[in-house]
Amino acid sequence: MKNLNLFLIGLFAAVAFPFGALIVSSQVQLGALGRAPAEEGGPLFPPREPGLAIQGRAVYLQLGCVACHTQQVRPAGIGSDIARGWGARPSVARDYVLQSQVLIGDHRFGPDLANVGARLTEAQLHEHLRAPSSVVAGSAMPAYEYLYQPKANGWAPTDRAVALVAYLKSLRQDYASPEAKLKQ
Amino acid sequence: MSQESSHQRPSFGRETALRGPFVFFFVAALVWLLATSALGLIAALKLWMPSFLNCEWLTYGRVTVAQKNLFIYGWATNALLAVNLWLLARLTSFEFRNGWIAVFGGLVWNATLIYGVQQIFAGFLNGFSLLEMPREVGPVLAIAFLLAGFWPVVAFARRPSGHTFAAQWYVVGASFLFPIFYLIAQLLVLWCPASGVVQALVASWFVQNLLQLWLAASALGIAYYFIPKVLERPLAGYYLATVGFWTFFLFAGWTAPATLLGSPIPVWIQSVGVVAMVMSIVPIIITAINFHGTFAQNGGWANAWNSTSLRWVALGTISFTFVGLLRAIFYTRGYSAIVRFTEFYQGLDYLLVYGFVTMVIFGAAYFILPRVTGALWPSVKLIHVHFWSVTLALIVSTLVSLYGGYQTGLDLSKGAPQMIGGGKAHVLTAAAFLLGHAAFALNALGLIFRGLTSAENRQHD
Repeated sequence: MKNLNLFLIGLFAAVAFPFGALIVSSQVQLGALGRAPAEEGGPLFPPREPGLAIQGRAVYLQLGCVACHTQQVRPAGIGSDIARGWGARPSVARDYVLQSQVLIGDHRFGPDLANVGARLTEAQLHEHLRAPSSVVAGSAMPAYEYLYQPKANGWAPTDRAVALVAYLKSLRQDYASPEAKLKQ
Repeated sequence: MSQESSHQRPSFGRETALRGPFVFFFVAALVWLLATSALGLIAALKLWMPSFLNCEWLTYGRVTVAQKNLFIYGWATNALLAVNLWLLARLTSFEFRNGWIAVFGGLVWNATLIYGVQQIFAGFLNGFSLLEMPREVGPVLAIAFLLAGFWPVVAFARRPSGHTFAAQWYVVGASFLFPIFYLIAQLLVLWCPASGVVQALVASWFVQNLLQLWLAASALGIAYYFIPKVLERPLAGYYLATVGFWTFFLFAGWTAPATLLGSPIPVWIQSVGVVAMVMSIVPIIITAINFHGTFAQNGGWANAWNSTSLRWVALGTISFTFVGLLRAIFYTRGYSAIVRFTEFYQGLDYLLVYGFVTMVIFGAAYFILPRVTGALWPSVKLIHVHFWSVTLALIVSTLVSLYGGYQTGLDLSKGAPQMIGGGKAHVLTAAAFLLGHAAFALNALGLIFRGLTSAENRQHD
């Protein structure tokens, strides 16, 4: 403890070793993952995000949705995600390889959204965003009314609402992956 | 409660050179404490009543992110920078001659923080916890930290005597490592993002390092200084402190994957995280022997309770032991399957950063501020309001988060719908925190004002 250089080397090693073992090794193990077909000759998954969905991802981030929603389905036996119908299989690392910023989240005040695009239609998503309590009684989600404009016979989504719903519709892990087959 | 530290005649000497930087950082910390408390109340109200202040720039996502960032980088970091400066002068006889460098670093730090939080409210935020501020903020904060917070390392290098103390080890370790892991996380999450889910692993590695190796380590340094100092007796089992120090720093960096159990990262990495989390109980036991063993001797608990400063430190060390034991138990696979994504883990994090770190900072402030400013605390009543409101709020909010989170996890595992519980309790505790912090800020600012005016008067005399 008296030799500063040795002390600082020890401290640095205490951070560097876990960094190397956990993060560098993960990057080595997962960094080369790319899109892959579920079966030989099949389409590649995960699919590429449409341009509108990329704009919608920015809206998702701007509104801070990640504070209340996750995008990861845990395997059966670890939590009840699959039993609750939030996914037909657990999420795997390959599902996220195209995402520039992975938004898996760490807290759930609302349901997981990893497969929300497969669960809800566009109309349902718009309705849920505009007036959540009309869809789920007592919902803790605020109404995102400012993403909609009134019109003669109801509401019209703004461009941002359309982009956000396009993003939410793009969230689906309902394809088989080499690492996780869909439940029959 | 005796006011031994609040009404003790302040001492002068080495503190004089520290007065400017210390007061600057502490006033900044107080401002951020009030801001984060107000945002905490708004966030609690929004969870309870989703339609409350329902506009785009005040979404729950933005308010809670701003609140957490201000708490960690605004309140806790500014306050720790202030206390660390004072500790280094006390422990190393370091003549602090370049206070303007630290103040300049502090100005840059706080100006950048204002920009970062303004950007969060404007909607330019990232999706990883405590890395939400725009990426241009990171390098500036790192440089500002080097200017403001690297002094403990300098003081350690230039200390006149070879002997070192446990308090120094923790403060030097925290000050040395923070810029390293902060920059690495910024680089691999925001500037050159790692591949896919590795980003989540980097982010959780950063959060665990930030909570343990910067915040908790600095607070441990404070506890190791104040307990023997105020009780005027050596620490029990002090010979174990070296083992406690190295095991604390050794295991902390490995614990991150335990916070990602069930996430799409390699299973062997998750297992390593669980093992590290359980092994972290070693430094918890050692610090418990050092702290609680000392309090247990010769009426130490009673003395701590009767001391304005040490009662905060004592409560903080109890929180640290409690949260360490709970983390070792509830980050195992079986419990994680139940409580992950609920309020439970947020409750544990809050118990660490508030129940331990913030309580210890309050204790240090009650001891140091009169000595640095040369003034006395203006109001004993405000000290009581501060103590009781935040202590009761902490106990209630912890119980609500831990019990409520566990119960929510059990209900969810049985297929119950996703619900938010404890809304009213969180509003009440957030209001109590705000009340306590306002009392503390008022008292501390009054004391600083008194100190500055009396210093001016002395100069005129």
